[in-house]
Amino acid sequence: MKRIINIFAILVTAAAGFTSCEDVIDLDIPNGKTFAVVDAWITNEAGKQSIRITESVPYTATGAAPAISDAVVVLTDLTDNKTYPFTFANGVYSHDPGLDKSIGVLNHAYKLRIELKTEVFEAIDTIKRVPEIDSISYEFKTEENSASNEEGYYARFWGRDLAGASDYYWVRSYRNTKENRVGDAFAVDGSYQEYVSDSAIFIVPISESITDWDKPFQLNETVIVRLASLTKSSHTFLTHVESQLNNGGLFAKILENVKSNIKNTNASSETRVLGWFGTSAVKFKERVIR
Amino acid sequence: MKTTANTLMLICLLMLTTFSLMAQQQRYTVSGYVKDEHSGESLIGISIGKPGTSVGTVTNEYGFYSLTLPAGSHEIQYSYMGYKPIKMTIDLTSNKRQDIKLAQADRQLNEVVITSKQQEKNINTLNTSLNKLDIAEMKKLPTFMGEVDVLRAIQTLPGVNTVGEGAASFNVRGGAGDENLILMDEAPVYNSTHMLGFFSVFNPDAVKNINLIKGGFPAEYGGRTASVLDIRMKDGNNQKLGLTGGIGNIFSRLAVEGPIQKDKSSFIIAGRRSYMDVMMKPFMKGDMKDTKLYFYDLTAKVNFNLNKNNSLFVSGYFGRDVFGFGGQVNMNWGNTTTSVRWNHIFNNRLFMNLTTYYTKYDYSLEFKSKETDVAKQSYKWTSNIINYGIKPAFTYYINSNNTLHFGVQSVLYTFKPGKGTATDGETTNETVLKDKNALEGAVYLDHELKAGKFGVQYGVRLSGFQFRGKGTAYYYADTTAGIRKRLDHTQEFAAGKTIADYYFLEPRISAKYKLNATSAVKAAYSRSAQYMHQLSNTASPTPVDIWTPVTNNVKPQLTDQVTAGYFYNAPGDKFELSAEVFYKTMKDQLDFIDNSDLDLNEFIEADLLASTGRAYGLELYVKKDIGNTTGWVSYTLSRSERKTPGISQSEWFINRYDRTHNVNVVVSHEFTKRISMGANWVFASGTPATFADARLEFQDWDIPYNTTEKRNNYRLKPFHRLDLSVTWKGKQLKRWKGEWVFSLYNVYARRNAYTVYFRQNEDDPNKKEAVRLSIIGSIIPGITYNFKF
Repeated sequence: MKRIINIFAILVTAAAGFTSCEDVIDLDIPNGKTFAVVDAWITNEAGKQSIRITESVPYTATGAAPAISDAVVVLTDLTDNKTYPFTFANGVYSHDPGLDKSIGVLNHAYKLRIELKTEVFEAIDTIKRVPEIDSISYEFKTEENSASNEEGYYARFWGRDLAGASDYYWVRSYRNTKENRVGDAFAVDGSYQEYVSDSAIFIVPISESITDWDKPFQLNETVIVRLASLTKSSHTFLTHVESQLNNGGLFAKILENVKSNIKNTNASSETRVLGWFGTSAVKFKERVIR
Repeated sequence: MKTTANTLMLICLLMLTTFSLMAQQQRYTVSGYVKDEHSGESLIGISIGKPGTSVGTVTNEYGFYSLTLPAGSHEIQYSYMGYKPIKMTIDLTSNKRQDIKLAQADRQLNEVVITSKQQEKNINTLNTSLNKLDIAEMKKLPTFMGEVDVLRAIQTLPGVNTVGEGAASFNVRGGAGDENLILMDEAPVYNSTHMLGFFSVFNPDAVKNINLIKGGFPAEYGGRTASVLDIRMKDGNNQKLGLTGGIGNIFSRLAVEGPIQKDKSSFIIAGRRSYMDVMMKPFMKGDMKDTKLYFYDLTAKVNFNLNKNNSLFVSGYFGRDVFGFGGQVNMNWGNTTTSVRWNHIFNNRLFMNLTTYYTKYDYSLEFKSKETDVAKQSYKWTSNIINYGIKPAFTYYINSNNTLHFGVQSVLYTFKPGKGTATDGETTNETVLKDKNALEGAVYLDHELKAGKFGVQYGVRLSGFQFRGKGTAYYYADTTAGIRKRLDHTQEFAAGKTIADYYFLEPRISAKYKLNATSAVKAAYSRSAQYMHQLSNTASPTPVDIWTPVTNNVKPQLTDQVTAGYFYNAPGDKFELSAEVFYKTMKDQLDFIDNSDLDLNEFIEADLLASTGRAYGLELYVKKDIGNTTGWVSYTLSRSERKTPGISQSEWFINRYDRTHNVNVVVSHEFTKRISMGANWVFASGTPATFADARLEFQDWDIPYNTTEKRNNYRLKPFHRLDLSVTWKGKQLKRWKGEWVFSLYNVYARRNAYTVYFRQNEDDPNKKEAVRLSIIGSIIPGITYNFKF
């Protein structure tokens, strides 16, 4: 909702004839402390699953963050008590159950255990249900017909929230390949809030989030959409991340650090890791712009 | 409770004894209204006194005065800045009613006139921390886009600042934005700006004058802790029909005022509408085709002098901002206020104003599927807050040295935090966040005593707040500070049943000692309680940041402030100067957990934190009222901090609205009768900010992270800006009077930082950068034609 108001703020400033402006500046601030950052998101996709553990780096540092290679990473399926060791190679910890097999199973709970030096960290998450993406549609807009003045194809997806209970979703879209991320959006049922609607089609700002308005799709490009289920706590974490990533404008918030669900098993230890352990059931849909 | 009531009784008794002792000599009272000769507007703050003595009084907000003097013959002078003084000899052999009409002075006469504004001088009034501005002074300030603006004007005063350009709130003496009581003809206003903060909702054509009280609050004011911004609207000309207005590049204004029955009753209707949407229309195609972007407001007032002792005022305000985007997103919000006031003179020494008011703020937000979509869907949220208030206020003018103010106040609140309607094809689904109900009440009494060089106003306000049914109370389990609290249980309460209640005794005292003919020292202490908070965790409040009452989970905020000052009035009134210091502590200020969810959240109280605040500072103010060059310079040195468990390692941190230095220079110069110029320069220390010193790589994102965990430990670059304006009056015809106002805002096009945020470079995601956002990054010209007919 704040995003809608921010659009308004931009329009107000533009329409009133004064342009708010942004300049990239150099901040002379000391480098922060270094933390281990766990990027662990397990899905029910078949095949290899990967987890990254890196070091936090100064914000403006260029290049990828250095990987931490000496951790011991084990994933446990708490529901049917299976363990999956993840081994380090090429910068990531991974486990491959085989081409047609998946680690993630719907409604199963998982525990991630990481041994780092002498400390042990653990986190738990559950794979929730996810609906199908019914279709992707798109519409061509000329430069002057588009709100962002960019000519191209504006896509949206069609899907319907599952009936009953509150469901939390993560919509991520890609251009051509899954390496090329376009945008993210987060939903509760089909909208933004619990108990508003149930089993509704994903509402407009969410369904249209798969297009980057500043860089719409072009002819022959492939629109790929991933819909992932989330637990409520993962949804809270991801929307917190989202607010930190898009925190400009008249209604900017104070930078508020994202929390981690990966806890040190020794409660009296001061050592912490950052990052998140999440699990999702996922559905994909893709469509080539013709 | 019992002890507070007893204390109150004791104070009353004490006061009564004092007065009975004083009422020995034969005395009579002269009383009446003071009005403008040409317009019939009642005049506020007119000095009435015996020249050469300190005996005197000033008219109240309704232009009424009462002065009790020993029997005999007295020379009395009525005077006010910009008016020809009237001097008359009054023979007091009995009580006397003396209504006065003052005529506006010619420009040349100003100097003579002003030297005689005895009673109004800062060295003669009891109040500390009070700034007055009338509309004539505000009009001299350079404008933003050609528009005279109440909220921008008060930001030039010492002790007042904002988080940045375009912010929808202001901060007084280190208080948060929701700690200001904004009253328009006595009715509270919840959202004081249009266009997200760029323009205030008060139409300058209808504003008469404003008072900003920053400390030493008289007992009649309560409910907010940082300041009272008391805005009085014009009554409307009761002599002849008139038209005023202006055409600017952003919006136009038109006001009509005139008598309903000459001398007896009058009206004013003033409206404004912005038209940027109309101007944008030709450029809006495709997605932008149905873009709506405008605001309007209507201010109306009628008043009736029913007879010598009774007058009635009915004021109304209705304003709205409308925003729509491609027919798919629609938003609108606005205030509605209505107040009915009855002035009654019981006798020449007892004056009453009874105000009843209704005020409402509401917003609506809607998403809709496109007209062309096969599957029809919509999602609409509405929310509002409604108050009904009643406040009889009495002033008892015992004699020329003693005045008593007392009254009762009561407000009934209903909050509708949100109603959601989702439609999907034929099905409609409704969600309602539960209403909240509350009742606020207060009784107050204060005594103004003048004894030669010494003066004191002391009193007490007993306030109470009842958060009541019908409603649901939420009870949360204790948890680590800074983390969302877990719901323990809820309980339903029937209509009228108390869920939580709070009572506070708020003592207030202001004292003055006049050192000599030109200088005085003053000191004040006040305690005030606040039972309402605005839920906003962004730099500037948004239109959907709703207000919420204190509940069983949220405690009232309690602020104690001490202030002391030195006031100097140069001989011949060449200039006036004040230096004030203040210190205040704030208990139970509202704060928020990290990543708090304030939008339409039923369990919002689980995300709220209570913090302790403190603020202190020095304010210097020099003002020159007379001559061709007038203006003021204000300087504030201050600090505003808070401590919140769970935030910034539970240590003290500086508030976002803290400014170490804040300078305002306002100058206006009249070159000739027809050409004048205004200039305004602002300097303020940079906004405190929290910077990311690290990034976390996660799922293809780079998440900014602050490993110090300290909040606001950096500052943005200092803010400064120069504005200029030139007013050119055309040939002033007998009836038609016109003027052109040309203004330049941000003359040297400084890009003042509003925030700094962190992002991946759009073209090269490997590059991460810190970005400075300037809301206004260029020079903004404005042009307005104002007319009067």
